[in-house]
Amino acid sequence: MHYSRPNSVAEAVNLLGGNTGNAFILAGGSDLLVRMKGGFVEPSLIVDIKAIAELRQIRATDKGFWIGAAVTCAELGESEMLRAAWPGVVEAANLIGSKQVQGRCTIAGNLCNASPAADSVPALVAAGARVHIVGPNGSRVTAVEDVPLSPGKTSLAPGEMVAAIELDERPAHASDAYIRFIPRTEMDIAVASAGINLTLDADGTIKTARVALGAVAPTVLRVDEAAEALVGTKLETAALERLAETCSAAARPIDDKRGTIAYRKSVVGVLAKRTAELAYKRARANS
Amino acid sequence: MNINAKTQIQEFRSVGTRPVRQDGVDKVTGRARYGADYNMPGQLVGLVLRSPHAHARIKSIDTSAAEALKGVKAVITAADLPDHADGDEGLLEILDNCMARTKARYDGHAVAAVAAIDEATARKALGLIRVDYEVLPHVTDVDEALKSTANVVHEHATSRVDPEQNVPLNVHATEEFGHGDIEAGFAKSDLIVERSFKAEQSHQGYIEPHACVASVNADGTGDLWVTTQGHFSYRIVCAQLLGMDVSKLRVTSSEIGGGFGGKTHVWAEPVALALSRKAGRPVKLTMSREEVFRSTGPTSPASIDVKIGVSNEGVITSAYAHLRYGCGPYSGVWGMLGAMTAFACYDIENVKTIGIDVRINRPKTAAYRAPSAPVAAFAVESVLDEIAQKLDMDPLELRFRNAVKNGSRSSYGPTFGTIGLVEVLEAVKSHPQLNVPLAANQGRGIACGYWFNIGGQTCTTLNIGVDGTATLTIGTVDVGGSRSSMSLVAAEELGIDYDKVKTVIGDTATLGHNDTTEGSRGTFSSSMATINAVKQAIGVLRERAAKMWEIPVDDVVWEKGCARAVGEEHGNLPTLSLAEIAKEAPNTGGPIAGHSEIVAEGVGVSFGAHICDVEVDPETGATKILRYLVVQDAGRAIHPAYVEGQYQGGAVQGIGWALNEEYVYGADGRLQNAGFLDYRIPVCSDLPMIDTVIVEVPNPGHPYGVRGVGETPIVPPLAAVANAISRATGVRMTHVPMSPPRVLAALENAKVT
Amino acid sequence: MVDVNVWGSLSTCTDNQKVIQIEATTIRGLLRELVEKYPGAAPWVKRGISVSIDGEIIRDDWSKTLPDDAEIYLIPRMTSG
Repeated sequence: MHYSRPNSVAEAVNLLGGNTGNAFILAGGSDLLVRMKGGFVEPSLIVDIKAIAELRQIRATDKGFWIGAAVTCAELGESEMLRAAWPGVVEAANLIGSKQVQGRCTIAGNLCNASPAADSVPALVAAGARVHIVGPNGSRVTAVEDVPLSPGKTSLAPGEMVAAIELDERPAHASDAYIRFIPRTEMDIAVASAGINLTLDADGTIKTARVALGAVAPTVLRVDEAAEALVGTKLETAALERLAETCSAAARPIDDKRGTIAYRKSVVGVLAKRTAELAYKRARANS
Repeated sequence: MNINAKTQIQEFRSVGTRPVRQDGVDKVTGRARYGADYNMPGQLVGLVLRSPHAHARIKSIDTSAAEALKGVKAVITAADLPDHADGDEGLLEILDNCMARTKARYDGHAVAAVAAIDEATARKALGLIRVDYEVLPHVTDVDEALKSTANVVHEHATSRVDPEQNVPLNVHATEEFGHGDIEAGFAKSDLIVERSFKAEQSHQGYIEPHACVASVNADGTGDLWVTTQGHFSYRIVCAQLLGMDVSKLRVTSSEIGGGFGGKTHVWAEPVALALSRKAGRPVKLTMSREEVFRSTGPTSPASIDVKIGVSNEGVITSAYAHLRYGCGPYSGVWGMLGAMTAFACYDIENVKTIGIDVRINRPKTAAYRAPSAPVAAFAVESVLDEIAQKLDMDPLELRFRNAVKNGSRSSYGPTFGTIGLVEVLEAVKSHPQLNVPLAANQGRGIACGYWFNIGGQTCTTLNIGVDGTATLTIGTVDVGGSRSSMSLVAAEELGIDYDKVKTVIGDTATLGHNDTTEGSRGTFSSSMATINAVKQAIGVLRERAAKMWEIPVDDVVWEKGCARAVGEEHGNLPTLSLAEIAKEAPNTGGPIAGHSEIVAEGVGVSFGAHICDVEVDPETGATKILRYLVVQDAGRAIHPAYVEGQYQGGAVQGIGWALNEEYVYGADGRLQNAGFLDYRIPVCSDLPMIDTVIVEVPNPGHPYGVRGVGETPIVPPLAAVANAISRATGVRMTHVPMSPPRVLAALENAKVT
Repeated sequence: MVDVNVWGSLSTCTDNQKVIQIEATTIRGLLRELVEKYPGAAPWVKRGISVSIDGEIIRDDWSKTLPDDAEIYLIPRMTSG
């Protein structure tokens, strides 16, 4: 096994492109190291991206925010501008693992691990985040929801890596939220989750909405029908009930040790309601 | 009958204080050496190959490729662990569990092991071992296993008691207790409540995995460094299994990161010794967390029916329980313990309990803190709570009306002596938690619990140092702070300060046999032996002082850490301190020590009552523990902080089991959640501060009145939490753990029906 | 002669009698006579029996004497966590 710690994106891409074996990117390592220790993967090459300065930055851009792939979730939580603009994304990132894990793990890693239960991904999908990907054939930008294909599989081509995740500017009367359900209070993996991003009129009518659900399908689910149920409403009881129903109906979960199909379908609707209420409250406060 | 022996009121100087624990600094600075923290020169890494099948015949094992791998020093199978049991079925079962002989009987059962120069080589070697299995049908559910059509887990499975000659083959043993005539009792009751309950299997969840370093020499001697609750018992069992002389195997207990009963049984230690014997080098064997879950002993899964009849005044007229406990593929005593404890808190005229051990294709059940009692209490205390609701009676009042007291006949036979359940209930009654108002979706549950204590073989040695300090060597492994408690006891008896006594755990070559730290016996038994050893040392100290003064020993008394001459002739001599006497020891007869070798008898039982306040989210089924109170009789708390620690720790383990902890088996008979991610013990943020009240009704059988306190605290929580959730939701909970999906399903089900 | 109370499942070896009369003055004598009189009890004694004398449960010390009017109960010998 070879371990390398390049100082630039170009160098990292070069290393990945030249590798013929089983290459892995090491950012926080909170998934990779566990899988290696458990004997599930045996990398021939590990490319540690934490020494690449531009991947360690959170920047304000003319369009919004640029979050380097090696920025830790704890650092997201320490960013006042991100907390103000995208509280739902930040709260999702700060639910992953434990405090210690949050000091290492990244949202790019959370995305590329391609778990349907990844906490930051529903929040990023709801936020309409974009992913900057670099590789042997140059760079490209894609929507977050296009990266995971199925549990453990992504759409990244061989030699490609995520360089950054980009979020829009936050207009007035808009905000987001993320809520997951776990049987404990922390250090757990979502049984079901919901990320919702809302933009309102000045009078509180919902103009646009994006709804994403976690842990209820092989990948994170964007539920446009649920979003439509909210648009034009002021989140009255009927709208909330419609939201819950569409989310429960859209969910395609499995029975496993963490929950039953019936439980996940029921709870994901409850979570969607609670998440919408929280996002709405934040959007109203953001004038 | 003399069952009301009074204990003298005693004034203590050290006992009852809360000094800093003596092993604390080492533990918080990482210097303490646990099972995996010890190394021997030239040691190899041992790894175990485990069955992926719940039940399979081992047709053949080909180890040739593994043995040929460079760096591999030994590969063993059951063939390297020949049967030295000499017809002792219990011993043969232990051997079979350590290394499957003909059949793998559960997912995770050891089938082979390797020792190699490093972990990578050992892991590679495991992959080269070829096992040819014939997969057999399996059964992992207790009730399924009892069906006569169920697959037979163990070919020699026979019931110990088989009066009807028709018990199903997976029944290992049936035990019955009780007195009176339950049918007559039910006939005269005004209200009968009957329910069935189910409890999933839980693991002790000790944070330190099993680990040992074993070294067997060509001359038949050996050393074993190991994390264990009982190094003397490990020595006997390991020596017997390997055909070694007991006294030639020296076992040292490391610091222990929790045991709770799970480290009273050997698992991988005989394997490590056998590997070392074959390789001719020391072998370190450390289990992964996955191995701990799959291959060591959790507690029993259980299925229980309870029927209780009461008068309108809330007096129990008759009580019956049928308790079925899974014991893994071998024998067990779990049904017996459940049957003995189920109704032990109550004075009942007509009572009958039947406990059954059921063989299933799961790991061998091990003791877990008051084994069997928590789920028995879950069933009994739930039915009592329902009775209180139906009678519209305060559930605490219902307990008062039926509580056992001095002279009550226990449900398992003997009459109780001095016990403290009523005092415990009185302390509950006056606690402010009962007056905290509850909001919507909140509920309050109460439950009582009981556990025995045991005494057993115990040795201690007290050595006086040249400067008048003392070293106390004890042989009961310190799991919960007992070294500090023993220092308090020695300081109390000697009349010196706590920080002048250092207590250490002796290895098996240092002291005579000590029984394992189990059955809430550590502090009870070792303090009794310590008091004896110190008294003997004081006798020596008085003799030495007499020599120094050249007066008769009868004129010397021991007071406040000093020798004092008494009588008209010598009464005016200045006292001699312990340090002054110790300094003169070379010239008065040599080293000064005291010893004690006893069987500790005179155990006192311990009762507790818990109050739990919860809030249930009706949309997710999630339960939040708002407040939790533990009240328990300690007899006498030597170090109250450690007694409180036992109360809190037991309550937390019980809460974890009540809410989330469970073994999840797939249809393939394989364990689905062998790790702390999906086997959910509570984290700190899940819990409020666990409030405690220590009640002290001294045990007349102990010089200070000590009762063992370690196990009772895990008995009431399943029931206390279940009663709280049932009252919060209006739906009676009958299946633990009460995980969110299970609670939500129960609520949905109640809406439908 | 002392009256000895036998728990439910052991009574299957004592002709279903819950109380038996044994000629003994110590626990050792009691267990010896028990097996003599009821050979079916031998495996139970081998596995371990504790003797409660007036409510005090004696697990190991077989030299304990049995007072004349004492309440004697046999119960299984326990181990635990």
